[in-house]
Amino acid sequence: MVLAPSMNKSLFIDISCSQIWKTNQNTCGDVFLSKRFPKERRVIAVLSDGLGSGIKANILGQMTATMLLRYVEQGRDIEKAAEVIMDTLPICRVRKISYSTFTVVDCHENGSVVIVEEGNPGFVWMRNGVHMEAEPEIIVSKKFSTRKMHRYKINMLPDDRLIFCSDGVTQAGLGSPRLKGGWQRSGLIEYSKTLLLDNPELTSKELARRITLAATYKCMDNFVKDDTSTAVLHVRTPRSVLVFTGPPFHMERDNEHSQRFIQFPGQKVICGGTTANIVSRELNRKKETTMASGDLPGISVMEGVDLVSEGILTLTRVLEYLENPPSKEIRDAAVSLASIFMENDCISFMVGAKMNQAYYDPEWPIELEIRKTVVRRIANILEEKYLKKVEIEFV
Amino acid sequence: MKKIDVEICFGTTCFVLGGSHLQELENSLDNDLKEKINIIPQNCLGLCKNENYSQAPYVKVNGQIIDRATIEKVINKIKCEINE
Repeated sequence: MVLAPSMNKSLFIDISCSQIWKTNQNTCGDVFLSKRFPKERRVIAVLSDGLGSGIKANILGQMTATMLLRYVEQGRDIEKAAEVIMDTLPICRVRKISYSTFTVVDCHENGSVVIVEEGNPGFVWMRNGVHMEAEPEIIVSKKFSTRKMHRYKINMLPDDRLIFCSDGVTQAGLGSPRLKGGWQRSGLIEYSKTLLLDNPELTSKELARRITLAATYKCMDNFVKDDTSTAVLHVRTPRSVLVFTGPPFHMERDNEHSQRFIQFPGQKVICGGTTANIVSRELNRKKETTMASGDLPGISVMEGVDLVSEGILTLTRVLEYLENPPSKEIRDAAVSLASIFMENDCISFMVGAKMNQAYYDPEWPIELEIRKTVVRRIANILEEKYLKKVEIEFV
Repeated sequence: MKKIDVEICFGTTCFVLGGSHLQELENSLDNDLKEKINIIPQNCLGLCKNENYSQAPYVKVNGQIIDRATIEKVINKIKCEINE
């Protein structure tokens, strides 16, 4: 977490993975891991496909993906790390093939990417609805002549996308009357082209979800024969949101902070009745409040602001939703705010440091945390679980 | 006759200290009373920060503050206003 007020203007790497397990299995044999390195402006991701299915495959995939990620995390060269793994992976005695296949991606925010593939289907690179071909360098294992790594060094432009998948995607429908040879990489490319031409704004999460789903629809009798995983990496101009919550410590700077808030070049959210009153007063903007619904106060409407909600209760509920997304459809301010967080890549909090004396009331529920603790916890989960960039500024 | 303004505070303090029940105010009124009032939800009336008013939840009826507001207290106040 960065404790600084400025939000950088470089590109953002939106990365996500969608998986559907093999029918009748209770876990996935494909493992996707990714980590963002904010200081280095870099994301590393691994998609590993463990041999077979179920728990055994999951353990094999986990081992491979975790080792690769750790190697690279420790500052080792990604190609060297992949080579060590390739040379080390044991061979299944029965099938005579290695225990897992993998794709490692090392992407910098300037668009330079290194991709190393061993056994997984070739990645797909889309630019403006056109598939770009990249030339690999082939590295043969020193120990196993049958093992070859494909290494690519490419430069992505803003709005380019990379699609990685396990063979569950390219082999979907294999043997069916319609697709004897399976969906194949060509099917994946055509589907992605159509999808992106129709929906150029698709998030990585949604694109990955749709591809995985489309692959499983190819399977006969809805029987998914293999774990099916799609990972999407999208380099794009970041989508940003600023959340102003809590009254500023120095009242005389209310106007300055309100001006900064309203001039923010992205979505704007106010969490807190007093904060909303300050912005309304300082900017001379009217607000209208809706009736509370259920167990959270309602929202208000103010010109130029995307969401105006109550503060601590709503933020606490947002934290709950981020930790455990609600299984049923709920419509409240916290769901709206959680959705805004999901739609944006860079999330800034401007947290007012003034304490509300009313919170010292002996009747005040003890389980309600103070604002900065909740914001910090939200920031942590947005960074760790949802791979967002988060900044907090106390004012 | 000018309608009576009933401002309900849905700020955090008021909401936590009992104000959440006030969202049921409209459903508790008979049609006659409903027609005579104008319910205005407020995101914060700012009264809980004033040491003189430390008894949330708050409702204002025609600008007059009701502390420790309940639906019953608010209805009584509305009736007083009508009778005046």
